[in-house]
Amino acid sequence: MVLPLIGLIIGIVVGAFFPLTIPVEYAKFMSVALLASLDSVFGGLRAGAEEKFDNTVFVTGFFTNALMAAVLVYVGERLGIDLYYVALLAFGLRIFQNLAIMRRYFLKK
Amino acid sequence: MLYKGSLKFTTWRGTCINERSEKMLPIKQGQVAIALVCAVLGFMLAVQFRTTQDIKSSIPFQRIEDLSQRLSQTEKERDTLLKQLHELRQTPGLESAAKEGENIRMGAGVIALEGKGLVITVDDSKRISKVGDNPNLYLIHDEDILKVINELWAAGAEAISINEQRLIATSEIRCAGPTLSVNNTRYSPPYEIRVIGEPQTLENSLKMRGGVIETLQFWGIQVSVKKQELVQIPPYKGTFRFEYAKPVKEGGK
Repeated sequence: MVLPLIGLIIGIVVGAFFPLTIPVEYAKFMSVALLASLDSVFGGLRAGAEEKFDNTVFVTGFFTNALMAAVLVYVGERLGIDLYYVALLAFGLRIFQNLAIMRRYFLKK
Repeated sequence: MLYKGSLKFTTWRGTCINERSEKMLPIKQGQVAIALVCAVLGFMLAVQFRTTQDIKSSIPFQRIEDLSQRLSQTEKERDTLLKQLHELRQTPGLESAAKEGENIRMGAGVIALEGKGLVITVDDSKRISKVGDNPNLYLIHDEDILKVINELWAAGAEAISINEQRLIATSEIRCAGPTLSVNNTRYSPPYEIRVIGEPQTLENSLKMRGGVIETLQFWGIQVSVKKQELVQIPPYKGTFRFEYAKPVKEGGK
């Protein structure tokens, strides 16, 4: 858990000082992509706890999830369907599910 | 089942990974990959955080706050200035000029007046418009009010006000969306028109056959006319500003 935390902190520090801002109209996509990545990380942690971790699956899942979420929201916006909330709900549910499984796992240990 | 399997795993893997980290965190696989991904995630988090912060402090939000603040400030300023203006007007001038000035002020509408007259209330139609009917027909328009006012002036009205706005020479009566703009102040129905003049004449002028009230009532617009012994009409509260007009010098030719 130490290594991921260090990675997270490094990422935050780099992000805080990196001169990159997202245009306001894309902030929505970014937020969904962020949630998807968060979900992937939780999924990865859970897989690690379950000893089923696969490097390739995890890394590809991380990027495809984020991209797909953003694309989904974009398409939804074009079609006038609020897929934004769908993505939010799905990823939110998954995060909590993974969290619950991990918690159980750690408690039983 | 899951639990049992992982326990077994821990025992044989425990030899190669240091003991302390093992006890704290049973996640042993893919630490590096997760760390890398976490770095990307952290980057995204920070960027998103900054973006959100930017949005909050960006123009629209700030502008709304700024503008509403300025509006209330300006309104306060206007009120104090109006009060000042009023006090200045009330201060009595020279005794001889006062009499003539009084007449002029009454005509200009800058002082409150009272006397016999009418109070007319006009409200939108309560009738539900039929399908296919233009709902506009059941609403009061500037033209309706103008017709009433015109009729009243013609019948010898000496002073008229609409909802506390004294009608003066430059007063406009105009549609402003669903409201009525009088002296650049907006009002919504019901409109109360106060008139000073000979009550009977005024009332007759409105209620004559084929007159204004009959036309309005055809569309269900509610008009009530009350004769009163004492009608009070407020003064014009605005200012006079002449940018282009200049008085002609008498005997200048």
